[in-house]
Amino acid sequence: MAETKTLFRFFTIADYEEEEAWLREQHREGWKMLRLYPPGFYVFERCEPEDVVYRLDFPQSGIAEGDYLQLFRDYGWEYFARWLGWMYFRKPASEADSEQDSEILSDNASRVKMVQRVALKRLIPLVLVFVLIQLPNFLSLSEFRSSSARSMLFVLSILLLFEIGLFVYCGVKLRRLRNKYGGGD
Amino acid sequence: MDVRIKRVYVPMTESAFYILLCLREPQHGYGISQKIRELTRGEVIIGAGTMYGTLSRMEKDGLIVFVREEDKRKLYQMTDLGAEVLGLELRRIDRLYANSRGETFNG
Repeated sequence: MAETKTLFRFFTIADYEEEEAWLREQHREGWKMLRLYPPGFYVFERCEPEDVVYRLDFPQSGIAEGDYLQLFRDYGWEYFARWLGWMYFRKPASEADSEQDSEILSDNASRVKMVQRVALKRLIPLVLVFVLIQLPNFLSLSEFRSSSARSMLFVLSILLLFEIGLFVYCGVKLRRLRNKYGGGD
Repeated sequence: MDVRIKRVYVPMTESAFYILLCLREPQHGYGISQKIRELTRGEVIIGAGTMYGTLSRMEKDGLIVFVREEDKRKLYQMTDLGAEVLGLELRRIDRLYANSRGETFNG
């Protein structure tokens, strides 16, 4: 059995380009990604160092998966992992005959559409859960006066602040991605 | 023609234009991309994600239709509505071309 390693690295829904670059870098150093365990444990297997392009797609919901994967296979993409709607593909750089051929999204219109899907299907639901469930729970807890409630409140408020920070980060980053691809107002 | 269809597809992206153009005959996604490469001598390359997204949207909007399956690949073809949209787009491109040459467009 080949040697494996597990690395922890947290990428938000807005960091998929960084994630692609990191996985490509790992492969160049002889580590091929096998799978991913949430929230960010990546399992790699020892392999020959090679320049392999990694791409993450976030397709529309309700796709006919067989057709979708067949099309990617025809294009030479190997599908090897998935996580919450994200599909992971890779292809040796040597098999791509141009810069364009190593992209799965080849025009700005489709890149902007993907950013919009991520915002609509991932960021907005998370913010809604936060505002409608977590925040009211937190506020009702803050009415208790006991010391155990107090300390729990302290831990929760740090967690909530962290979440707010994450939402702001993702929102700003997705907006920046959209603008980068010419989808700004 | 639906106002929405016209708003979304006239003008259309270069990818959408080439995909629709190729679907005057039945073809599957990868076949379309190969055909476009050939037509443009590799200047226009359409990625798998862009291809899949455009095909599903056009099918949903009725511009193209699934005709049959070959080796697990779906073949699509342009519908009458698709031909109408393509016609509008070709007319627009003719106008651009005429005007870019300093000519007046005569429709």
